[in-house]
Amino acid sequence: MASCLVASKRPLLALPFFLSSPCESVVLDLRRNQSSYRRTTQRLRVKPDASFGSSLIHTQEDHIIHNPPSSAPSVYLTPSKFLPSNDVRKNLRTAPANSNNSEELPPVVRAPSEKKYHLTPSDIREIRRLRATDPMTWSRLKLAKRFECSPMFISLVCETSPQKKEIQKRVLEAVQSRWGSKRRMAREDRQLRREAWGRDQ
Amino acid sequence: MKRLQLQRWSGSVLSAQARTGGRLQQRLYYAIRHQSTASPAAPAGNDQLVKKQPQAPSISSPHSQKSRYRLPSPPVEAARESAKLAALHARLYLPSRLPLETLARSLVHPSADPNPNFNNESLATLGHDLLTYYASEHLICSYPRLPLTVIFAAMYAYVGPKTLAAMAREWGVESVAAPGGEVDPGYLQFQRLAPGTDVNPETITGTERPHDDEPTWRKSVTSRVVYDNEYGDPVKGPVDPSELAERDAQTSQGVTVEEANASFVSAVMGSIYLHAGRPAAKRFFEQHFLSRHLNISDLFNFSQPARDLARLCARENFEAPVARIVSETGRKSRSPVFVVGIYSGQDKLGEGAGASLLEAHFRAAVAALKGWYLYNPLDVRVPSSMEEEGAAPWKPVHVDLGEVIV
Repeated sequence: MASCLVASKRPLLALPFFLSSPCESVVLDLRRNQSSYRRTTQRLRVKPDASFGSSLIHTQEDHIIHNPPSSAPSVYLTPSKFLPSNDVRKNLRTAPANSNNSEELPPVVRAPSEKKYHLTPSDIREIRRLRATDPMTWSRLKLAKRFECSPMFISLVCETSPQKKEIQKRVLEAVQSRWGSKRRMAREDRQLRREAWGRDQ
Repeated sequence: MKRLQLQRWSGSVLSAQARTGGRLQQRLYYAIRHQSTASPAAPAGNDQLVKKQPQAPSISSPHSQKSRYRLPSPPVEAARESAKLAALHARLYLPSRLPLETLARSLVHPSADPNPNFNNESLATLGHDLLTYYASEHLICSYPRLPLTVIFAAMYAYVGPKTLAAMAREWGVESVAAPGGEVDPGYLQFQRLAPGTDVNPETITGTERPHDDEPTWRKSVTSRVVYDNEYGDPVKGPVDPSELAERDAQTSQGVTVEEANASFVSAVMGSIYLHAGRPAAKRFFEQHFLSRHLNISDLFNFSQPARDLARLCARENFEAPVARIVSETGRKSRSPVFVVGIYSGQDKLGEGAGASLLEAHFRAAVAALKGWYLYNPLDVRVPSSMEEEGAAPWKPVHVDLGEVIV
């Protein structure tokens, strides 16, 4: 109800703004803030949540108000998909879910990539040969681009030479040696925060 | 199942002084332990719980008080005089069939009194076995899918030495500065460690595990069930009788307060089992141990939850998990919040919130995995519930593949 009132008032308030747009000083004078007691209380008059119930209906009988704050679901509530087939709760929960099956699912974070399985044993031999002959040129990313697979697959197929690993380690050390205390601490904090994800903290 | 006549057996755990006319009296070593100059009563009624000794007049005499200084731990007769002991008995609401003498004996650690007839070693061993049995059956039946490492951690949290020591502190058990026969038997008697002693040796050698001396070899989690203790920690193997004296020499150097307190709580459990029977022991366990709140979902630590979840869904023939943005706010601000849900087909498996899409995805996968692991069947019954009279026929507990192995 309150939102309807506000919506109907807006064109009236904006009317002088459109009419006197060339003159800025008039606009500033005409724009009104909400620093009146009546307007403030009117906007703060929020309709109570439905779970609080109408006091007119339940004047006689006692009732429980359950209006929890929005929070993450408890991990102790097993999703119905994970319930074994002989559990009673599985049938209880899936019954209403089937009725509104057509509901839209939220958008995906990243579209799942289709696995192609297009590489042949000769391709894999080629990957290994390239990685062994020139490990500096043929990095994981370059090999993945050339053979149209993921860098993860390249690391499954072959391993780089120990010399390359040593060089990479030295490069990393050289970069890290130029970090100041602030950056180093920030990186360490980031690492610690990341470890806390797994402990759910 | 028929209840066993425990009173018959419990005579063997009572100390030799409570039972008059025992064969131990004939040994010379124990000769010092007899404070009472009165002649022992006739050896009758061995199945009686506590043989009420006639109040020897010498107990209150100054001579007897002096002789108490020669004892390593308080004599059995002193248990009836101790107000502390009676208060502890009443405070714990122990069954009246558990005599004060046994409670006094459970307060004597082997480091204070090496004599196995007067210390709590046997009671603590029995109590420890009962505690770990009840705790493990509760965990495995209530949460049948828990990974083994989490079971180890939960066992340690329920009946580990740190918990037992904390319980003894909550019960108001105080420990002596130095053990002796003259102190009040209501105190916990043990020999303290010398200051500066290293209490945490890095490696435990002499375990039963083959190739124990190879530090770099992988120790699988499953092998910890066989070779290690109930908390998954390495434990020393059985000791030869020839090396027992060496071990006794080590305990005489002293023990930590934690270890002594833990042995007392285990010994109380064992003595309740012996004197009051199995139902009372189980009730004691439920009231004092299971009533302690343990949030098992805090014991998990995942490193690659998304991969584990994908493996789980493939194993259980569910659709592959897909991360979806349920809601988000302030994507281009300094502190955005994303809520990501993990869906398998139409069903939501878990939900997580985070400051980045990566974090929210990670947390959602953790929540989904916890949802799998923390499955709790309805109407859980443990195997020991069959010991109750008139128990319903046993139905097998839920067992499935459980842990995700990648």
